[in-house]
Order: sequence, then structure tokens, then C-alpha cells
Amino acid sequence: MFRHTPLRYIALALLAAGALFQAATAGYFGLEILIEILILAMLVLALDMVAGFGGMVSLCHGALMGVGAYAFATFGGILGLTPLVSLVGAIALTGATAWVIGAVCARSHGIYFIMATLAFGQMAYSYVFQTPFFGGDDGMGGIERLDLTALGIDLTDSRSFALFCLGVLGLVYLATVAVLRSGLGRSLTGVMHSEQRMRALGLTVWRVKADVFGLSGMIAGLAGALSAMHIMYISPGLLDWTVSGEALVVVILGGLGTLVGPMIGAVALVVLKHELSAITPYWHLVVGLLLIGVVMSRANGIFGWIEAQIGARLDKRLNDITRPQPTEEPRDA
Amino acid sequence: MLETRNLDKSFGAVHVTRDVSFRLEKGERRVILGPNGAGKTTLFNLLAGELIPDSGAIMLAGEDVTSLPVASRARRGLSRSYQKNTLFDGLSVEENLGLAASIHTGFGTRLWGDSLSRPEVREIVEDVAAQVNLQPYLHARVSEVSYGVRRQLEVGVALATRPRVLLMDEPTSGVGPEMAGAFHALLAGLPRDLTILIIEHDMDLAFEVADSITVLNYGEVVFDGAPETARGSDLLKEIYLGSWEHA
Ligand SMILES: Nc1ncnc2c1ncn2[C@@H]1O[C@H](COP(=O)(O)OP(=O)(O)OP(=O)(O)O)[C@@H](O)[C@H]1O
Ligand SMILES: [Mg+2]
Repeated sequence: MFRHTPLRYIALALLAAGALFQAATAGYFGLEILIEILILAMLVLALDMVAGFGGMVSLCHGALMGVGAYAFATFGGILGLTPLVSLVGAIALTGATAWVIGAVCARSHGIYFIMATLAFGQMAYSYVFQTPFFGGDDGMGGIERLDLTALGIDLTDSRSFALFCLGVLGLVYLATVAVLRSGLGRSLTGVMHSEQRMRALGLTVWRVKADVFGLSGMIAGLAGALSAMHIMYISPGLLDWTVSGEALVVVILGGLGTLVGPMIGAVALVVLKHELSAITPYWHLVVGLLLIGVVMSRANGIFGWIEAQIGARLDKRLNDITRPQPTEEPRDA
Repeated sequence: MLETRNLDKSFGAVHVTRDVSFRLEKGERRVILGPNGAGKTTLFNLLAGELIPDSGAIMLAGEDVTSLPVASRARRGLSRSYQKNTLFDGLSVEENLGLAASIHTGFGTRLWGDSLSRPEVREIVEDVAAQVNLQPYLHARVSEVSYGVRRQLEVGVALATRPRVLLMDEPTSGVGPEMAGAFHALLAGLPRDLTILIIEHDMDLAFEVADSITVLNYGEVVFDGAPETARGSDLLKEIYLGSWEHA
């Protein structure tokens, strides 16, 4: 189950402050980067929820995000629904798709689970790619952003859109924590520890896995719809398995099962990508080396490493402060 | 309450369960004895549904559950503990009991609200903690408590689903004689209408708690009867002195 620690609160506050500062001060390019980070952060929260707390390492979350994006574009552009209805529809459809994938894959574990999810992702990719209805290789354009002018917010403005994405990410984070702390979330943790025992206690294990995978898919679908609104154009590349792979890299780089870590990982990856790709076309190499370093260090990602280094000390310090001091310090001679 | 009819199970060429039939009345406490490798744990796996018998039938409260999956049998009131601890190590003792209790009460699949703070769940956790002497350890993590306490928790988790039939696979294996004795004393405090099947290595302890005894040898029931009869049985002495490593 997920627990907040002082260090996690501090990290969250720093992330939020950094994002707000960037949203307030950055120019167009900086805002684009921020939005990219915020959407990736949503995707990796969804992935951490299943991989870090349920042991379901998914290689189809990129494709799920693509399903969300295509659903949003289709509902709006082809069926002519309003952006709000399209958004809700895209989230629901992606959630349902993910639920089915979760239910089918629930009995596989480890590498087989990864492969099964990859297969689903590839099926979605080739379906979209081959279907003229979805524009095939050309993708789909003319996607509208949500209309919040009634609230005095103009989302066609990059700064407003960045702030909007930040707000949505905050809600997604709270929802993820709520799910992980619910009865369902606790059972999921139990399932990750021992499926056999949970079954012997009367739990229908596949249902728990499918339900959480579905919820995770809803978040991925939301991230996809936001991504479609952001670029206002989508192509099958969104569903490519490398997107899923990159999300997994971010989760592991940041710290599996910590929620905060993957968001830090998202910042790290996007910033590295933009900074390094300006200098060298081999930026993937640097990310690869970083990932190898993190994995070899046997720490749980960047944030896991920080937690191991200072988290315990910080908790102790805070405990000492809040606990009444003994009046007389016992001393050895 | 629990009945098996001519159960048979083989692993390849190894015939591990041979024509096993017995019957437990409601509230009966039966001990299963037998040397290492006699097929005791395998019998539990068949009863709980973790293995499917090659032939034969299992009846739970008059219903044929032979082809039901593990979780369905558990929901019908069959609970088991394991010979090797199967606990949730990173969690506290309380959370371990709470997980089991929340599955039983249906809060384990709810999306809103923490299952462990539900009064129904709390009540079970406190009850079970009292039943198996876990109150002092509720807030300790499983990894922080002694092996003996973990063995108690192993049974506590099984009890927290409020079963009608409880299967315990060597609940005192690996703990010292005092703790084993204390554990058996604690069995006396369990509800009288709970039907219990215990695998036990120690004969003397077994005689203390059993209403009836089943002895397995090479997968076969070689004795079924009252503890007093078992005590005098030559056959049992032979198995006990012969192949029982424990002796
Ligand atoms: N899954 C399996 N596959 C193959 N053989 C198995 C399997 N499970 C058990 N066996 C074999 O079946 C026989 C009975 O095993 P079982 O674990 O039921 O014995 P037991 O009476 O519980 O012994 P112990 O007192 O050591 O716990 C053993 O010879 C064991 O090696
Ligand atoms: Mg055994």
C-alpha cells in the first residue's frame, strides 16, 4: 500500500513549485516542454499503479494512451461530439479496453505478462495504422481543445493549457493515492505479495487485477486525450510500443512503486531529451547509460536512492522533534 | 461438514493420495498424522482446491465442491493455513489480519474508503488477535516479529475470514515445545462450532486436542478413529518408530 512520508511531501511540494514557476515564467518553448512532462507524468502514474503496486509490468500503456487520443479525436472530429463529452468517452473507452486486457492477462506473470500486454499494444497499433477511417499513416488533425471560456479560461493559450494540465495531474495523483489506499488497492498489494494466499482467503484475483488495470487505463486514456488536445494532431506513432517502453524506463528510473519517483523520472527524461538532443543525436545513449547505472546500483531508481540516503534520517529527525525529550540524558561513563 | 470420497491424486508415476475417504461432523476436531511425505499437505491442497483430484469427490457442508476454484471454496467457509508461512511480509500484523477480514466482509474490492478502518473489519481483527494472542504485536511489521509469532499469525490470517472449516498445516512446525503447548491451549479458545482439521507431527500434542485421528501413510488412510484407540494401536507404533524421522 502507498504511504506518504515527509520526504515524499517535500518532493511533491518541490515538483509542484517547480511546475508552477515554469508555468508562470516560461516562454512558448518552455511551456511546451512543461506540458510534455505533465502528460508523461500522468502516464507513468498510471503505469506505476499497476507495475509498482500490483506487479503488472505493462508494455501497452503507450498504446492505451494512443487509444485515448484516437477515441478523443474520433468522438470530436468524426462524430461531432463536444470536447467534454469526447473526453469522458475517451476515458471510458480506454478504461474498458484496459479492463479487458487486464482480465485476459491476469493469469500470466513476469515476462509472459509483459509479452501479452505488448501483443495487445501491437494489435491496437496495427489496427489504427491499417484503418483508413483513422487516417492511417497520415493520422488525424483538427482536434479541438476543451472549451472552458465559461470559466474564463482560454485553453488555446499555452500557459492556460499548461496550468490546466498541472491541475489535472494533481487530481490524477490524488485519485491514484485514493485507489491505492482503498480496499481494492490493499487487496492489489496483497495479490502482488502472494496471489495464492489471497485466493485461499476468498479473493477473485483476476477481478482485482482487471479492475485496477482498467482504472490505470482510464488515466492513460486521459493522458492520451490531453496529448491529442495539446498537439491538435495525432498519428499512429502514439501507439508505438516504444512509447510504452519509454514510460517503463521513466518508472524504473524514477523509482518503482513510489508514485513521486516516476514523476521525477518524467521530468528527468523530458529535460534530458531536450537538452541533450540539442547537443548530440546520441541522447538515447546517455539515457541508456543512466538507466544502466540506476539498475546496477540496485537502488529503487533515483527517488528510491534518495529515500534510502536521507529518508530514514529525516524520519528519525522529525520523530525526535515531535517526541518529548527525556529530561535527563542517560550517559555512559 | 467436510467429507472426502475416494480421493486419488498422482504426480506422474508417484501416487500421493490413495482412495482417501473421511468425514468431519460440524465442530469436530480431527488431527492428521503421518510421516514425512505421507501426502498430508497434498490432501490439504486437494481440499482447498489448489490441486484437483484425479478422481473422487469433496463435499463441503453437503455441497460438492470438487471442481470449484480455490476462492469459491474459501467464500463457502473453508480456510487454510500453510506449512510454510505465506504472510504479507512488508505489512504489519494488523494489516495482515485486516486484508483477510476485508476480503471476508467484501470491503477488499471496494474502490472508496480504506477497508481497514471499517468497524466490521476492525472487529474481526481485534477478535482474531485476541484468539491467537497477537495483541502485543499488532503494529509490528511481520519482518520484525519472531518466527513463533509469525506461525500464530499464519493461523490468525486463516481465522480472519471467519471460516466454518479451518485447515491447519503443521501450525507449530519449527517452534519450541513451550510455544507448541501454548498454541494447543489456544485451540481450546476457538469457537466450538468451528470444524478443524490439523496436520500435526507431534503425537502427544495431537492426542491432546483431537476428537478423532486420521493416520496417513504412503497416501493411504491406515487408521481412522478415536485418539484412545490410536494410542494403543500397534500399526501406529510401527509407523511411528519405523519411518518417522521425528521419533
Ligand atoms: N507438486 C508436486 N509435484 C510432484 N510431487 C509432489 C508435489 N507435491 C508433493 N509431491 C510429492 O508427494 C509426496 C507427498 O508430499 P506432501 O507434501 O503431501 O507430504 P507431507 O505428508 O505433507 O510431508 P511433510 O510431513 O514433510 O510435510 C512427496 O513425495 C512429495 O515429494
Ligand atoms: Mg506437509
